[in-house]
Amino acid sequence: MTNDYITVALPKGKLFGLSAELLKKAGWTAEGLHEKSRKLIITNEESKLKFIITKTADVPTYVEYGAADIGIIGKDVILESQKDVYELLDLGFGKCHLMMAVHKDKKRPKLEDYSHTRVATKFPHIAEKFFSERGMQMEYIKLNGSIELGPIVGLSESIVDIVETGTTLRENNLEEIISIMDATARLIANRVSYKLKFDRINKLVVDLKKILVEQ
Amino acid sequence: MSEILETPYGTRDFLPEEAAAKRLIENRLAEIFSKYGYEEVVTPAMEFLETLTMSGGRTVEKDLFKMFDQNNRTLALHHEMTTPIARLAASRLKNSALPLKLSYNTNVFRFRRNQPGRQCEFYQAGVELLGISNAAADAEIISLAVESLKSAGLKEFKICLGQVEFASGLMEQNNLSFDEQKKIKSAIERHDIVELEKISDSLNLDKNSADALKKIPQLHGGKEILETAEKLAENKKSLSALENLSEIYRLLEIYGTADKIIFDLGIIRDFEYYTGMIFEAYAPNVGYSLAGGGRYDHMLKDFGLACPATGFALGIERILLARKMQGIYEDVRRKNIYLSYAEGKIDSAIKKASELREAGKVVEISLTPQTKDDAEIFKQKKGYDEMIYIDMDCK
Repeated sequence: MTNDYITVALPKGKLFGLSAELLKKAGWTAEGLHEKSRKLIITNEESKLKFIITKTADVPTYVEYGAADIGIIGKDVILESQKDVYELLDLGFGKCHLMMAVHKDKKRPKLEDYSHTRVATKFPHIAEKFFSERGMQMEYIKLNGSIELGPIVGLSESIVDIVETGTTLRENNLEEIISIMDATARLIANRVSYKLKFDRINKLVVDLKKILVEQ
Repeated sequence: MSEILETPYGTRDFLPEEAAAKRLIENRLAEIFSKYGYEEVVTPAMEFLETLTMSGGRTVEKDLFKMFDQNNRTLALHHEMTTPIARLAASRLKNSALPLKLSYNTNVFRFRRNQPGRQCEFYQAGVELLGISNAAADAEIISLAVESLKSAGLKEFKICLGQVEFASGLMEQNNLSFDEQKKIKSAIERHDIVELEKISDSLNLDKNSADALKKIPQLHGGKEILETAEKLAENKKSLSALENLSEIYRLLEIYGTADKIIFDLGIIRDFEYYTGMIFEAYAPNVGYSLAGGGRYDHMLKDFGLACPATGFALGIERILLARKMQGIYEDVRRKNIYLSYAEGKIDSAIKKASELREAGKVVEISLTPQTKDDAEIFKQKKGYDEMIYIDMDCK
């Protein structure tokens, strides 16, 4: 097929460094591939690779449309985006924990007791699926950052958010009441690219698996 | 005021050039369908909701555009054509000679946000072959899909061909419970290979059986893949699925369409619906499938006519996009002659236009007299190849 380049979408932020490093071990890299690159597309002519660096939440979109053939992104972002992409490999890094938390003085006995309350979150789709599977209706308030502010200023009763160490929760007198999911970074592929560029993408999967086992 | 100039979410206009390209492709598809003996049917844009949700359960219901008739029965716009054709076959065409070969070309409606490569209203052309359950029928359908994409002008595309029964057989071979099978099927349908591997590892299977399940998405390639797959399968169902693919492929070689085929046993769109071979067509640089189809032997039973069936549908907008991506441009708007005339010469001009049209030319005649210079400007603006200007009487 004429287009023999493979375009890789990498997310800005904490997954970028780990992703670029892992891909490099499998020989997938390009000169000048760093997060602060001013170039929008970083090309490796010799290996027929192109890299694009996008906002985290946009990686599944680029891949679903085939603007990028493959990408690396957290499972939480894939689920929230509701995009139809191949999930090829669990890369193990970028572990995070999605949970529901409330102000520790306002805890209620059962999860169901929070029905019809307001929940602030960056992940309204995942949250809605979680609660509706438990027969609960909630009022979802989509925020784009500093979710923990919600209960403090009275915008919401609870939050659904990612925690890493739990420090932010403690500092704000919030307490986890139920875990929703644990997520790690995934290698994803466009549905058509995975088929039409199967040999190269599958080789990458096999190579990465080996590297991950050895680590 | 501005609202009356908008169109509803998920709809679009086709301007003359776009409409001409669409018409060209639809005509070519209609021609190739009819060459294979498929006859066109037209069904109503709306059906009773129960008809459309009869098969495939209620999963489609949330995507349907619904309305009420005067008796408050719920109607819905058709979201695909297989179901209306099944209804037709089970009712008005019940006594027709089998196999029944039908084709369609119509707009369909699905309410979904952000569907890549399509709006809520989009156009589909396709065929259904009812009444035969052998490899010859499937090979005809796949070959027709290849010929259709070729006739639409596409040069670069591939058909990935799989067989649902291969994966089903592997699951049954391991005596997996209904719930376990459901989880695995859902992971495969969602293209979640990570989940498939996790479930396979969690099932207490011996290593070979777990590996076989995990390998399903990697069974991709040429004919040799069928041999690799054969080594993984220890059950009749999977093996006969592979035999079926092998026979289909043999026939495709005779059809001369086998060069477009890649085997892929991980292609499974819907376990509940498909019962045999299944395929999708892809073109480079288009991130979603151009066409899809397969065998669905149980569906017509829901309409009271137990009858095997196979078929496919092509997405017209997606084919148009793939043509653009492949740089295929045909001058689809025929604009041969702009015919203008001086004051008082309209009678001669009309006669001349009629002659030219009789000879097969596309002729636009000016509806008011013009100077030759004005006519020249007009011809340029409208993009005609040639201008004829009449300023003296023809004989």
